Amino acid sequence: MRKRSVKNVLLDLLVVVVVCMALLPFYFMLTTALKTSAGSVAYPPQIFPEEITLQHFKDVLNPDIFPFWRYFWNSFQVAFGTAALAVIIGSMGAYSLAKLDFPGRKLIQESSLVVYMFSGIVLVVPLFKIISGIGLYDNKLSLVITCLVTTLPATLFMLSSYFASIPVSLEEAAMIDGLSRFQVIYKIVMPLSIPAIMSVFAYVFMIAWNDFLFSSIFLSTPDKLTLPIGLRQLFSSKDYVWGRMMAASFLTAIPVVFMFSMVEKFITGGLVAGGVKE
Amino acid sequence: MLRLASKAPKPRSALQKSESRLGILFILPSLILIASVIIYPIIYNIYLSFHRVSLNPLKPHKPIGLSNYLTLLQDGNFLKALLMTTVYVAVTVVCSTTVGLLVALLMNRKFKGRGFARSLVILPYVAPVISLVFVWRYMFNGIYGVVNYVTVDLLHLFEAVPAWFDHPVLSMTLVVLFDTWRVFPYSFMMILASLQAIDESLYEAARIDGANAWHQFWNITLPEILPVVGSLMILRSIWNFYKFDDVYLLTKQVPIMGVYLYETAFSTNDFGLAASITVVLFLIVMSFVILVRRKVKRV
Repeated sequence: MRKRSVKNVLLDLLVVVVVCMALLPFYFMLTTALKTSAGSVAYPPQIFPEEITLQHFKDVLNPDIFPFWRYFWNSFQVAFGTAALAVIIGSMGAYSLAKLDFPGRKLIQESSLVVYMFSGIVLVVPLFKIISGIGLYDNKLSLVITCLVTTLPATLFMLSSYFASIPVSLEEAAMIDGLSRFQVIYKIVMPLSIPAIMSVFAYVFMIAWNDFLFSSIFLSTPDKLTLPIGLRQLFSSKDYVWGRMMAASFLTAIPVVFMFSMVEKFITGGLVAGGVKE
Repeated sequence: MLRLASKAPKPRSALQKSESRLGILFILPSLILIASVIIYPIIYNIYLSFHRVSLNPLKPHKPIGLSNYLTLLQDGNFLKALLMTTVYVAVTVVCSTTVGLLVALLMNRKFKGRGFARSLVILPYVAPVISLVFVWRYMFNGIYGVVNYVTVDLLHLFEAVPAWFDHPVLSMTLVVLFDTWRVFPYSFMMILASLQAIDESLYEAARIDGANAWHQFWNITLPEILPVVGSLMILRSIWNFYKFDDVYLLTKQVPIMGVYLYETAFSTNDFGLAASITVVLFLIVMSFVILVRRKVKRV
């Protein structure tokens, strides 16, 4: 019995090590943001900041130095818009795949892997040409549409497997009680699926918020940039300061980390149900 | 309703018809979006790859046959990128899946704070790449970076400060480390969930038969999670074959396919050539998927 508890202590210790490895860069992100400029380039490196300052956070949030809030608002518009559309279009499509029978349904269900094969970098060249051709270049809408579609297979999959778990008898009973198909959907199916809908929302929000590739080619006016592109510019500007960089990085990560932790217990189940796009 | 209807044949078929009409109506927006943002661009891209693409939208593209593809074959950078990508994909897929599997096995026990530990481990996968790349660049900095302090001054693993961002092999190591760290949580989540779905009675029966921990893992756990691990590795291979952002942002020394393609399109502005690279990329991925699908029956 004693041997067993020693083994458990060792395994618990290993868990702590794994968690620390996962969090180490986040730790340095936050502490460097709080270090003075001299402290961030000191050698040997300061594991614990010797002097703490909030100056870098103030600088990053100061519109004269870095238009953080402008970029934040742009990112938010893109991420929120994409996530909201994903929930609406995804719910309709997923309900159709889960509950309604129509010719070609099987084919659509089985072709999600095909969509994975054509996403990200292989869409960049033709999409850029098309987007410029139809005058959507430097328009956030192009970003919304692209993120919406590249996440759509995952959205459909997550939602339809959730809808499929809602018993048909429940819907039948409601229809016998006189509810129409539409009423069944928004009075019964949707309220029951709130965890799945929240997960999809958070997941799509995260993808759109974090997107670097498409934002970097679709947007150009400084006023319209999203946070990842704004951050990149801050880094390549001559007078970058580590503290500012880390403060901005930290603030950029906060919304998605917060959002994900809210729905984490739902999303893992949904993500796991099948292959999901990053 | 459905059951009631099945007794009377006539309304049933009417209902079915309306069901199927509604089904098509609901799936239509998704299909239109996928057709216009994925399928049409892919076809358009094939068209572009046979042209010298003009930058001026008013000028037509000039058809040049296979010229772009011939240029590619003679371009040493293309073959270099292909080789690098193959190495990158092979190593990262194995590393991230293995780490994910080990951490999942480690966390598939009951211990205090398991839920919390799990949420923390997932963070690298959730945070924006851009934030993570910057802090990695800070930590691996050649002058005041903590990684060099620990590996050179404290542990004496290297004689001199390693050029993480400039030396080709070290840069490859760096991007592999970064990707493993960033995406292992995904494998971890998927494998953990499939571990938790294994019927506990299987282990009980095995213990009664006197199977040790290793036997239990080999004969029960592994066969149960193998399908998940398999599809995980296939998906990760596709994603990493198309990898761009973190490698591009970390170093200029690892021009994998995604980076090569991006630079050809947006630095050299040779969209025709970039289109032909794109075609080659998805041909490779398609043959890979067909090949593994034949080998592994259901993925």
